[in-house]
Order: sequence, then C-alpha cells, then structure tokens
Amino acid sequence: MKTTITLMGKTYQFKSLKEIMAKANEEKSGDQLAGIHAQDAQERIAARHVLSELTLADIRNNPLLPPEEDEVSRVIEEGVNEKIYASIRNWTVAELREYLLSPNVTNNEIAHIRRGLTSEMIAAVTKIMTNLDLIQAASKITVETRCNTTIGQKGRLAGRAQPNHPNDNLQGIKAAIFEALSYGVGDAVIGINPVIDTADSVKAILNMTKELIEKWNIPTQNCVLAHVTTQMRAIKQGGAADLLFQSLAGTELGNKAFGISVELLDEANELILKEGTAAGPNVWYFETGQGSELSADAHHGIDQLTLEARCYGLAKRYKPFIVNTVVGFIGPEYLYNSKQVIRAGLEDHFMGKLHGLPMGVDVCYTNHMKADQNDMENLAVLLAAAGVNFLIGVAMADDCMLNYQSLSFHDIATLRELLHMRPAPEFERWLEKMGIMENGRLTSIAGDPTLFL
Amino acid sequence: MSRVDGQSIISVGIDIGTSTTKFIVSHLKYAKVSSHFSLPRYEIVERKIVYESPMYSTPLKEKRDEIDLKTLAGWLEEQYKKAGVNVSEVKSGAVIITGETATKKNAESILHYLAEKSGDFVVAIAGASLEALLAGKGSGAFLRSKEVKGTVANIDIGGGTANVALFRRGKVLGTITYHVGGRLIELDQNGEITFISSSIQPWLHSKNYQLQVKKKIGFREIQQIVQEMCKDMLNSLTGQKPIRLDDSLIHSTSFQVIPPIDEVMISGGIGQLLEKEAPKTIYDTAVYGDIGPLLAHEVVKAIENCSLKIIKATQTSRATVIGAGMQSTEISGATIHVTASRLPIRNLPIMVIELNDEQIKSGDYVYEQIEQAMIEWKQYFQGEQEIPFAIHIRGISYCSYAALKEVAKVLFSLYEKYFPRNPVLVVICENDIAKALGQLLVLQSKNKVDIISIDQVVVEQGDYIDIGETINQSMVPVVIKTLAFMKN
Amino acid sequence: MNQADIQQIVEKVMMELQTRISQQSEDKIDKDEKSFHYTAVDWLTHVPNPKFPEGIDELRKVTPARIGVWRTGTRPLTKTILKLQLDHAAAVDAVSGEVLDSLLKEFNLFTVETCYENKEVYLKRPDKGRVLTEEAVKTIQERCVKKPQVQIVVSDGLSASAIEANLRDIYPALLDSLEVNGLTQGTPFFVKGGRVACMDHIGEILQPEVLVLLIGERPGLVSANSMSAYMCYRPRKGTVESERTVISNIHSGGTHPVEAGAYIGTVLRKMIDQKASGVRLEL
Repeated sequence: MKTTITLMGKTYQFKSLKEIMAKANEEKSGDQLAGIHAQDAQERIAARHVLSELTLADIRNNPLLPPEEDEVSRVIEEGVNEKIYASIRNWTVAELREYLLSPNVTNNEIAHIRRGLTSEMIAAVTKIMTNLDLIQAASKITVETRCNTTIGQKGRLAGRAQPNHPNDNLQGIKAAIFEALSYGVGDAVIGINPVIDTADSVKAILNMTKELIEKWNIPTQNCVLAHVTTQMRAIKQGGAADLLFQSLAGTELGNKAFGISVELLDEANELILKEGTAAGPNVWYFETGQGSELSADAHHGIDQLTLEARCYGLAKRYKPFIVNTVVGFIGPEYLYNSKQVIRAGLEDHFMGKLHGLPMGVDVCYTNHMKADQNDMENLAVLLAAAGVNFLIGVAMADDCMLNYQSLSFHDIATLRELLHMRPAPEFERWLEKMGIMENGRLTSIAGDPTLFL
Repeated sequence: MSRVDGQSIISVGIDIGTSTTKFIVSHLKYAKVSSHFSLPRYEIVERKIVYESPMYSTPLKEKRDEIDLKTLAGWLEEQYKKAGVNVSEVKSGAVIITGETATKKNAESILHYLAEKSGDFVVAIAGASLEALLAGKGSGAFLRSKEVKGTVANIDIGGGTANVALFRRGKVLGTITYHVGGRLIELDQNGEITFISSSIQPWLHSKNYQLQVKKKIGFREIQQIVQEMCKDMLNSLTGQKPIRLDDSLIHSTSFQVIPPIDEVMISGGIGQLLEKEAPKTIYDTAVYGDIGPLLAHEVVKAIENCSLKIIKATQTSRATVIGAGMQSTEISGATIHVTASRLPIRNLPIMVIELNDEQIKSGDYVYEQIEQAMIEWKQYFQGEQEIPFAIHIRGISYCSYAALKEVAKVLFSLYEKYFPRNPVLVVICENDIAKALGQLLVLQSKNKVDIISIDQVVVEQGDYIDIGETINQSMVPVVIKTLAFMKN
Repeated sequence: MNQADIQQIVEKVMMELQTRISQQSEDKIDKDEKSFHYTAVDWLTHVPNPKFPEGIDELRKVTPARIGVWRTGTRPLTKTILKLQLDHAAAVDAVSGEVLDSLLKEFNLFTVETCYENKEVYLKRPDKGRVLTEEAVKTIQERCVKKPQVQIVVSDGLSASAIEANLRDIYPALLDSLEVNGLTQGTPFFVKGGRVACMDHIGEILQPEVLVLLIGERPGLVSANSMSAYMCYRPRKGTVESERTVISNIHSGGTHPVEAGAYIGTVLRKMIDQKASGVRLEL
C-alpha cells in the first residue's frame, strides 16, 4: 500500500491508513481534539489524493481496528459477500466514487455492490466526495422499511414527532404529540426521549402513546428512547413497544460505555421480535452521531467519520426500521460550526444509505455551537433533496427537555410543499381522513392541536 | 441508572353511611417522578384496591340517634382480619361519616375514635362538601371529566343526602348537597310510614305534604312526593331555580350559580338500585323498607326530562369509601423540613397569609400582613390559644433568598409574640421553597420551637390538614379536609 | 428644462425633505412616548378557530414546549420566530459573556483560571477547562484552607449569566444549609473557564471531604441562566462521572435556586455520612 505522495514538489508521507483516513477528512473540531487532523489545508488534500488511489482491497487488508480486537469489526467483516467483494476489490476509491455518480448506476446496482463493501470503504469514498456528490449519490438510493407502516418510498418525506417534556409529564407529552400530528408530522415514529430512565416510567409513556395511536387509528409506531435494558424491562412488565431504541457507537469499547454489546443487542432483538407490538419485520430504531466514541475515549485513534460508518455497519445486522444521526447534538468540540454540521449531516446520510439503511437525520445544534436556525433550514433542504427518509420534528424546533434545537413541525411541512414530497402513504391517507391534508397540502384546520381533544 | 421503581403505603377507607357501612383497603404506590438531576419529587402513581368489605348495615342504638360503637368496632376488627392487614401497617386513609349519620349524637367522637384506632395516620373526615368530592372521585366522574369536553356532575345519593360534585377537565368546580335520600322516608310493604327524617320535614311542609308516622300512604301519593323531590333538585341543578340558602331542599352549597351540566353520573346506594326494575306498587317500593327503589327510578326520569346525558358510574354504593380510602391522601414535596418527633400531627386549621412577589421584593407590608393575620386568628380562636395550626403562605412564586430571610424573620418573631406557648410552628408553602424557608426558620428559632415546613400542597382558608410521618426520609403524606364539622 | 426650473424643483425637493425630516423627528418623539414594551403576552399567538377553544390553554399549560403557535402557510408567525431568535440570542450571549468582578467581590470569591486560554479554545478543548493553570494552583495553595470538610467552588462554565442570575440566591442558601447540617467549609473561590471535571484537579490540591461546584450550564432556550451544582465525595484524578451527584436546571423558572441551595447541605451531609457520592449515594 502506497502511503507517500508528492504534489507540486512537496512530499507528504503518511504512516498508516488510519492517518490517511483521518487527514483526508474535511476540517472537524473532533478530529482536532483527537489530535489526528491534517496540519494544513494542503496536507488534507494530499491525504485525499493518496486515499483516492488506494484500492478497496488495500482498505480491507489494512484494518484500522482488527476483528480479533473488536466485535464491531467482526460484525462488519461477517457481513461482507466475498463474491461481490472479489469483483470490486481492485477498484480504487476514486473509481468507486465515479461509479456511484455515473448516470447508468441506479439503486439496483448500488444495492448489489453494497454487499461487497465494508464500512471503512464507505467512509473512504465519502471523504473524497463533495457535498453535492453526497447529495446526488444518496438520492439514487431508496431504502424502504416496514414496522406498522412502510416509509422510505421515493418522493416521501416522513417525520418523527419528538414530544419531549422536562419531567415526562404524560399530559405534556400528549399536548406536543397533538401539535405534531396537526402539522402532519409523526409518520416515522412517535418517539419520546424520557428524563426518567425507569421501567415504570418508560412503560407508562409506551402505553400512553399506544393508547393514543389506537384511539385515533394513527398509522405509525411508538418508541421510548430509554436505555435498551430499561425498555426491555418495561416490555417484560407489559409495556407496548412497537420499536426498540438504542444509541450505537462504532467500537466495542464505545458500546461498552453505552452499556451495550452485540450479545445484549441480540438478546434485545429476540425480545422485541417476540414481545413487541408491531407488525414488523423492521423493529429497531438506532441513533448515532459523529464524536461519541471520542467522548467515551473509545476511538482507538480513528477519525470520527470512519467510526460513524462503523456504527452503520453494526446497525445493519438488526435490519432497523429507522436510523438517525443526531448530527449536531454532541457539541462544538466535535463539530464546531454550521459548516461542519452541514458536512457531517450529508456524510452520515450518504454513508447510512450506502449501507442500505433507512436514514433519517436530526438536523440540530446546541447553543454553544457556532450555528443557528438558518443553518438548520439550509441543511434540511439539502437532505430533503438527497432523499432523506425522515427528519426529526420538535415544536418550534426547541426541545424543552434536551435543551437543543432541531427542526420544527412547520419546517417539515414546508419541505414537503417546497420539494413536492408527501408523508408516508398510509399516514397521508389518515391525514386526509382527519381533514388535515388534501392533495398533499395542509388544509385550513392543520395546526390546531385541539383537533385531538 | 437503576433505582427502586416505587413503593406502596397501605391506606384504608371507612364510610359510615345512613344505611350501610363499608370498608376498603388499598395500596397507594408512590414513585420518584424526578430525574437524577433534579430535586427529588414523588407522586402517588397508582391507587389500587386490595380488599373490599361486604355492605354492612350501620349499627344504631335503639333510639336511632346514636351509632352503636361497640358493634361497629367489632365488625371493623373482623374486617381487618379478613383483609389480612395489621392496624400498625396502615399508614394512611380516612374514616368518613356520611349523610344523616353525621348528625347522630356521638358521630364526632366515633369518627375521631375510629381514626385513632384504624392506623397510624387515618384521619377523620366529615362534611357534605368533602363527601361529594370523594364520591365523585370514587365513582369515576372525576376521571371521566378529564376525557370529555363538558361538565360532569356526580350525584351520590345515599340514605340521607344527595351529594353533588361538578367536574370539568379534571378540575373541581364545586359541590352542592340536597336533602334527597332513600331513607328520608321509611315505610313497610303495606304502605305504613315507619319513619320520617327531621331533615326532610321542612321541605314536606313547604310543599304541603302531610305525612305522619304510622299512617298509610298510597303508591300514587308517595310516587308524587318522590317525583316532586327529584324535580326540585333537578330544577336547582339545571339553574331553572336560583340557589337560595333558605331553600328547604338544599343542605349546603359552594355554588351561588351552578354552571351548565353536560353529563351526570349517579353513585351511592341509589346508584346501585338503578338497574332494578321500576316499582309499580307500594309493595315493590318498600322492598327495603324505604323509598330507595322509587327514588332511583324517579331521579333517572327527572334527569332524562332535563335532556342530560346519564353515564354509568364505575362505582356506585362504594364510591365514597373508595374516594375516602384511595383519593384522600396526597404527598408533599420532597425537599421539606420537619421535626420528626412532632409527626403525625392532626386536624390543624389553616391560617392563610397572602403576600405577593411585589411586597416580598420591596419588604413593604410583609410585617403588617403577617401581624394582621395573626391578630385575627387570635381573636377567632380566643378560647383555644394552644390549638396548633398551620400557616399557609400564599403568593410567593419566585423570591430571592434575602427576601425569604426577611419573611422568615418577621414570621418567627410575630409567632413568638402572639403564640408564645405553641411549641411547634407549621408552615405550608405552595411552591417548592419549604426547605429554604424551613432552614431559615430553624436558624431564627434557635431550637426554641420545632419547625415543620412543607410545600406543594394546595390548601384554602377554612381547611384542615393532617400531616403524617415522613416517608422515605423525604416527604410526608397529607390529608386536606374542607370544613370538617365547622358549618353546614 | 432651464436653470430656473431646476432651481424650483430642487427647492421643492428640499422643502419636502425638510418637512419629512421634521415629521420623522415628530414620529420618533411619538414612538418614544409609546415605546414598545414586550411582555410574555406580546409573543403569544393564537390558533384562530380551534376546534375546542378552551383546549388550547389547557394544552399549553402542561408543557413548556412551543405549541399552539399557529402558522402562515406552512411557516410560523413572525412573533413566534422572533421569540425563538431572541431566546437563542440570549443563549449565545450567555456563552460568550463574563461574570462581573463586583459580584464575586460581594461574596469574597477570588478568581483563578483554567488552561482554557480563550472562549474558542474553551469550546473546542474541554480537556483544557479541566486543569488549573500553574499560577492558579499556587494561588489556591497559598490562600485556601487545606483538607476542609466542604469546599465550595463557583465557575462560569458555559453560561456566565447563570452565575450572575443565581449566585445571590443559591450561595447564601447553601451557606445556611451547611450551618443547619452542622458542616464547615474551607475557602471558596471562583474558577474562570472551568469544566465540571476541574473538581478533580482542585480535589487533588485541597483534598476536601466533599466538593460542591456551582457552574453555568450549556444554555437552553427555556433559560440561558441555568446553573448546575455538582457534588463529589473526595474528588480526585480519575473520578468517573457516575461518582458525581448533580442538581441541574437551577434558575428562576426551573429548580428554585434558594431551594436547591438549601437542599445541597442535606446531600453533602449524606455524602459525608455514607462516604460516597453519585450512584452509590442513597438519597
């Protein structure tokens, strides 16, 4: 594997694939915090040159984190189809990029080759793609999944209703759900981040949402985003959960910090398939986000984009209904400003889709990040153009429990109108029946939460 | 993030009614409803009945003006055994004497006697208003009001009174009680009148009905009386007849004008009789020796005549006991200050001191307001100055520590001045500031007076409060009683 | 057009301009007299014809979420947007602000710094906010009581305005709660540019039995002035997050600062009695 390059008379020497991968990234404060970033702009592009010349076999043969040492690596390795890999192993990363972008390559071709790709290969090609590359390539990929309802169809944009409340007050959660539904948001999932991580409390929220869904015959699914073990206890005690949730990290150590392992996820998978309330077959909701491994000191010197790709490699094992990158939640030490958040959002969405995952994005920022609501609106348009499966919707974008801002219900409604996208089909029919939507547009009664009182 | 998901306290309810006495045992499960990062806060998250007694005829002494305590106590003892509960395990609950029984000669002493004997913190409750409220909570009307848009009335009709409580969207609008009950007139199956309650006499007179004990009455005649009684009550409930205090059918009321009612639930002994067929003869009517079956039938007709929607109650004859046993206890905030040796403390009347943020901020009038309240209180309770009471400070939504310190200083010095022989100072706050105020009072009192400072409890002037022993080292159970044996 | 015409036009324009200017200044005076005073109700928007009118208030009462705000087309109304922007602006300013010296003097808190250098480095390098400068180490070694029972430390963290808004209430309440609980404190001070884990470095130097850090939180939109109180039994290098006990969301609209201050003494007492903090502490 060649690791040295001379550009315009200057020679750049890299020690390892790990270093090349890290330095080829767009500037991110998280890579700087880890001390693995390119020293200047030219070194970054030099690394990108080298990376573009490497073959997919180079990447597979030089594991950043060997499977013997890490179970996420093992899961990724086990997922590779050797025949398909053999047919593309000599492609350079540049060739992979151009393949993905060439006009005669469609969803079908991509679905075929993805089985020969590892998460690291996907990370590599992402690093040499521009923002518009990421949008165009992602827009070719359709990933449909089914829980109680099907989402992900071309021309459809779903939304998660995120009706969080600062002390899990059931009435308060309900009030925000009504607001979301009245704007046509909630087709991906009605998902609550609880404050109180106990089985009793999680069960109460699960059952409240389930009753509400049944009362109004809403074609959607419920989920309470507590730790997976708490959800499992809640389900065993009679909680009605359509989806099981968990945050993922891209390394075994990172997952340990989250209190999970492949073994635990396998066990949880068995439980939700047996005791979950959804039709399925897709019954998982995963969340990821660049930087979580470094924050748990579990990054092994690997850059945050590559680690993010590895989360998707792990997620694939469980055939999730939805996967969501909480792109700007983690803070400025990982993504400093709106430019970095926008880039990461597009990267994550593309990488997830190339893995064959039903990707959504929490287009978001915290208040100590150099970003504002306008930046989120920009990213939302870019992602909708890229064919994102779903976006997170919060009342006026302000999550009063998690203390950060995402997109508003209004924003999701606007994107649908602007880009002629519709809610998930079953949900759209329900909205029409409720009189909230007509021919894909909100009616005059939309936006009235008392419709559900 | 593991923690104990919840614990339970055992609560009992005892309802000594005009005709029947009921007893229940329930488990009140409380759980932390705050995160690891907040000040602790608990709520009662589940109220579950674990034992229900059979209906028991309230034992009266020969003259019917006294409850037979010995027989009643014997029955209760038996019930505790059947329920498998030790009196010492009972941490909360209420004894209520309802309807006509409350007027019996020894009602008050029996009430307090039973409250003391039934568990560590079982309180005595009386008063038509609270009775109406508890029945409405026990019958399911309160819960129903949270689910529907209109106003839900619960009419709990027992032997002696009809206690009406109005609920809307989970809030209590008020209560009104009528002299309408199944045992106000008793008769045998030949139609001979055996008893006429003194509380219905004024109304009978006002309507020119000349009834006499030992005289016979015909079906048509008794039916007409009961019809008239129901019509009068419904006219009042629907606002067709204005509310007047000299109305002989009205026992007591918190309303001056009753808001429009959309749905009605009927609980109490009469509620249970609704399902029976309407009596057509005097023989059918007097099957229990009273007008109950007829009243049940006529009240439904009267309600239907007013085009009100009747909703089936989830509990009928046990509504009040369930309300008393399960719904009377609340828990305080979990950051409070108490002197444990003083608990439980019972039957404290509430003195209300109104302050507002502006006054507290500027310090003006704080002294005057508090002093005024204390002087008035002293005048009111002239003879009984040692009576412990609770001071409810109202109107502080947010205040600085400096301002709170000033309030504590003034409050303590005036308390010492006006109530020097009271060894305990009980303070109740609306918002979560009891620990801060409590510690300020402790620093002021320098151990001269024991301080109890609790919060997140809603009380009104004229209420009484009972405060139980600390649960989980952090909070106390409380029972708030409105106008116990004061008026009505 | 001749010279005279032009002159006439210019004169006319000048006249008009002058009257316009004088009108404007009149307008201005007018506006000063009726200047805009926004209070909470001024941002309130309404759903024009709700299906259940009394339901809107009912729903709004049970959640601080921004619901029932209505829309124009699919976009929010102007007031809703402006309120969101205002709250965000307050949050942004809280991050970049500094605590006034006069406030610190009021409570006799002297100031030391972490290695944070400046706000940008502070945000990008949380590790630097966890370590005191050499000078700071020297200063606290000189000025502070060693091995106190309780060490109080105040830090701006991510919101200087949290300190400005809450210190006057929480701090004296905390001192009284120490007295009520029979606890004594060492020499309190202020740390500029601190992160939560600066507790560990301070713990190594002063070795208190328990340490309580009052620190500005990452501002949210509900409040830019939210403070946290982190407490730890014998903090030291290598203390893990689960060993810290925390009360967060302390501000006038959240956990009442006077109540939080009064409660801290109870928690510290239990830490000392149980020789533990964080998940192992039974509260």
